[in-house]
Amino acid sequence: MKILVVDDTEAILLLISRFVEALGHQAILARNGQEAIEVWRQTRPDLVLMDVMMPIMSGPEAAVVIKAEAGATWVPIVFVTGVGEENALADAIERGADDYINKPVNFRVLEAKLKAVGRTLELNRQVREQSKTLADYYERAEEEKRVVRHLMDQMVNSERLADPQFQYWLSAAESLSGDLIAAARTPGQALHILLADGIGHGLTAALNVLPLTQPFYSMTEKGYSITDILFEMNAKVRQVLPIGRFVCVSLISIDEVGGTVEIWNAGMPPIQILDRNKQVVRVCSSSNLPLGIVPSHSLDLSPERIYFKEPGFIVAYSDGLVEARNASGAEFGLPALLQTLIAADETGLPPTTAEQTRMVTQTKIALADFLAGEQHHDDVSLVIASFGQDNMEVALPADTVPRAAELALQEIPADFNLLAECNWRYSLAISAEELRYLNTIPFMMSFVKEIKALSEVQSDIFLILTELFVNAVDHGLLLLESSMKTQPDGMEQYLSQRAERLAALPEGRIEIDLLGLRYKEQQVLKIRVKDSGNGFDWANSYAKLATGGLPSGTHGRGIALVRALSLKVQFIGLGNEVEVYYLPKSPAATQH
Amino acid sequence: MTPTVQIEGNVGRVILSGQFDFSAHREFRQVCESIIANPDIKEVLVDFQNVNYLDSSALGMLLLLKEKIAAASKTLALVNCRDTVKQVLEIACFGKIFTIR
Repeated sequence: MKILVVDDTEAILLLISRFVEALGHQAILARNGQEAIEVWRQTRPDLVLMDVMMPIMSGPEAAVVIKAEAGATWVPIVFVTGVGEENALADAIERGADDYINKPVNFRVLEAKLKAVGRTLELNRQVREQSKTLADYYERAEEEKRVVRHLMDQMVNSERLADPQFQYWLSAAESLSGDLIAAARTPGQALHILLADGIGHGLTAALNVLPLTQPFYSMTEKGYSITDILFEMNAKVRQVLPIGRFVCVSLISIDEVGGTVEIWNAGMPPIQILDRNKQVVRVCSSSNLPLGIVPSHSLDLSPERIYFKEPGFIVAYSDGLVEARNASGAEFGLPALLQTLIAADETGLPPTTAEQTRMVTQTKIALADFLAGEQHHDDVSLVIASFGQDNMEVALPADTVPRAAELALQEIPADFNLLAECNWRYSLAISAEELRYLNTIPFMMSFVKEIKALSEVQSDIFLILTELFVNAVDHGLLLLESSMKTQPDGMEQYLSQRAERLAALPEGRIEIDLLGLRYKEQQVLKIRVKDSGNGFDWANSYAKLATGGLPSGTHGRGIALVRALSLKVQFIGLGNEVEVYYLPKSPAATQH
Repeated sequence: MTPTVQIEGNVGRVILSGQFDFSAHREFRQVCESIIANPDIKEVLVDFQNVNYLDSSALGMLLLLKEKIAAASKTLALVNCRDTVKQVLEIACFGKIFTIR
């Protein structure tokens, strides 16, 4: 150690410094408090061994200055005291001195004290080093969190969460949330809502849920079903996360046009379906392993399907909400949540956006009251969505019926096929084998999305293509009867029979052509779909539809929708071929 | 939480208690490593008798253990799962990949 020895008596100064040196330390000398401060500033010794009473400046006075200047660095100061200096010594120790030794100095005691101080100094150095490392870690962690938070904000895309069909609440236990809520609409306007809970909370949990966002948004935009999206999300999570990491997920699809809700739940708490009076009418419990544990093909990715006739609510939440504990250790619980939702509205109002907002706000208040100042220990998330409401501003395709009238072209003129120029053409032909695994329409949508004239009307094109394609496959090739759907449980039967027949289909062919045409400065999209089936008596079947108006039954609605969206629908020959002419929005019409 | 180990013949029983969450991570891993390294043990039982709470990071630890046990050609079962523990395992559908008794 480097030791500063301070004494105004030359003999003692010499004696102590010699002894210090004999013990293997380096001695630096000063003869009063003032000098001690100056020498300390220049040499920064490890320890100060100082007399109490000295001329110019006393030991305790110098000690105060040195301690103040040393700041966070610990400089041990040991006083060498004579008889009768007890008061000054007590004062000095109170003001920060560390130890003392009596005069005449007993060298055995001095040696022991130096060793003790040396040990404490070493400990002090270690603590300082560790706390510096800790501070470095902390700073780095904060920086990492900042980056991840930015990344999450970008990937979660909170703008799309502003949808009148649902309201949500997300409250993180730490600065980063391991719960994720994402929403997007398919080109056919079905609303997809993703609620995910990564293992743990904070940074690692947030990282766990990030891989979900990309497949969710890009596949929803192209119109993939939630089964396909889940397949991809599971593959992604398995690919990027280490073993032992997984993500609990519920994926909800609300299709107002088809009147169906699809729910798939893996590891999330039971999703509650409420009627308009907030009574639970159905519960969709987790029946799957969370994502990231087993390969996609060993998961059952088919969702629970609900065909709704009455409006209602879907309530999805993370375990952080129902398991939030107050000071006495009680959990908030599902009954309290459901009670809160009922209390939010006793008049049975229809499921409007305002009503959803009120339910979410009531839940926030109820949880805050319950916790009474306690912090919830896990991330809390809640989604309240509604279905079957007709007074909400959901962009249903029926709204677009009068659109054709705004456009220059009112009908397909006689000279159309002569004069129309073909700008581009996209053709696809697939056989029964591809039909079994290929997701034809979403696949085609990635092309449609890139065509400038069509990018604004993807939703219309998706609906038209889906309708024509489903007709060609279901009725043309698989010979399914639409009337089946009207029976009780008909939809389920229809779908299972469809799956059976498709699996057993020996041969069959579907051709789809998209043509980008130009007729007198007007862009026209021509869609042609042909199947290898026997066709049907189209003239008879659709005669009554030609006059317009949507039929009220569950079948025939599709083709009427296509008629409403397009300029002309023309069946050809046996009825196994259909041509549809569609007008993309012209720049003038877009301004409406 | 300090897990304890009981060895009877070729069965190693890891007895957990209290809250099984991320704070138990290190002790759980150490105990499991010692059991996996023991060549006499052929079957590992994780005993939840005294566990009153289980969170998702505990599920992650179980998945890791399952992986290591399989690599060491031993078998694994989760035993004495009651109430909360059972409920958490059910929601995560862990019965599909674990033997639960």
